[in-house]
Amino acid sequence: MPTSVVHAAVGFLLAIGLLGKYYDRRALFVVLGIVLFPELDAALGLVMDGAHRTVFHTMVPSLVGGGLLYWDTTRTDSWLRGHWGEYGVRIAWVGLFVHTFAHLGFDWAHLSGINVLWPFVDQFVTLDGEVYISSTEGIVQTFVDISSDPDTGRRQIDAGQGGTTRDIHVSTPVQPSKEPVTGPVDRRFPIAVGGWQLYLIGTGAFALLARTFQTNRYEEDE
Amino acid sequence: MPPTLISIAVGVLVGIALLGAAFDRRSLGVVVIAAGLPDVDALLSLVIPGATNALLHSILIPVIAAGLLYYDTEQREESWLNKRYGWYGVRVAWVAIGSYVVAGIGLDLFSTESVALLYPLSDRYYAIVGRFVLSTQEGIVQTYIQFGDGWLKVASPGTTTTHHVDSWLHPASEDPARRLRLIESGWQAVLVVTAIVAIPAKVLVERGDR
Repeated sequence: MPTSVVHAAVGFLLAIGLLGKYYDRRALFVVLGIVLFPELDAALGLVMDGAHRTVFHTMVPSLVGGGLLYWDTTRTDSWLRGHWGEYGVRIAWVGLFVHTFAHLGFDWAHLSGINVLWPFVDQFVTLDGEVYISSTEGIVQTFVDISSDPDTGRRQIDAGQGGTTRDIHVSTPVQPSKEPVTGPVDRRFPIAVGGWQLYLIGTGAFALLARTFQTNRYEEDE
Repeated sequence: MPPTLISIAVGVLVGIALLGAAFDRRSLGVVVIAAGLPDVDALLSLVIPGATNALLHSILIPVIAAGLLYYDTEQREESWLNKRYGWYGVRVAWVAIGSYVVAGIGLDLFSTESVALLYPLSDRYYAIVGRFVLSTQEGIVQTYIQFGDGWLKVASPGTTTTHHVDSWLHPASEDPARRLRLIESGWQAVLVVTAIVAIPAKVLVERGDR
């Protein structure tokens, strides 16, 4: 993973704007909980092979959850609106957005990626590549590579597919390696790796700090 | 520099987070332009040697801008900006300065491309790169900032005379093929997609809040 701190910072950056007038400390805590929740599958790694980046790191709940949320909030007798009002509806949508983009999105592009369609398809996918415009080659992108096999002529699509839960293990502090190692075990809790991760943490912190200095226009209008 | 497109994406996210009730197409445009503006110094480097990531990436520019804005809106009896554009103008101006610092300068500072942060007072390039890890074997590992000789040190690839920041406008090599990089890696792609999706989401939010 880009570290949990990075997920939280990007989550806050997104949540501040999207919570809008429902922005308050309680809503931020709910969003923080949602954005950190998927990391719990690291603990499941102790009982299931390759559980981290698989069980809670799949796009399936986002799709199903988005559908359910849309269905519930557009019907006349909405359960969510009845219980928590517009505040709850907003937090649910923001939570879904933050979970999908700030957590799954960034893990997708990191190390072995995420198990996108688990449990339907057991396949880790990593987003990696670049896009540039070259004066000699034109527009070049290397994220998805479509080519045909020279021997069989079959079309191949390479979007960064890796292994399955059987052979992929993403190191976590709970389970640094798949097989037990002899000697002292090094458990690492990364806070930030590389300039860009520290940068994203700083950007999230900046947004939170700046937001506390801002006057609330909505209250002024009332 | 990380590509200007990434600065723009961060600018969009900063604008969405901080514009609040002032969010509309025009204000987001101003904030995004502020995010991309520092990279114009790559063009100026064709005339001024070593201007890339220095001339407009100097922290002095937003500091002076913030000082002027503070003077105008807080110190003067009648603020020019407030009189002309009201609450909206003041909010957009502050967010634009924040976007210039965070999305325009900051993104380059936290990469190996590096930024001459104190230009023209100092022509040294700075890059804050490293890692910060808690390890049960090695303890706290922190390599972003080094402590030495009573000074805080960060990585520096050189000064404006010794270090050339490559850009498609001013490439380092004589190779005639030029490359305008848009996205360099997976996380940058995710950031761009997130920014693109966040715009309609924010539009819906603002519609619901009014």
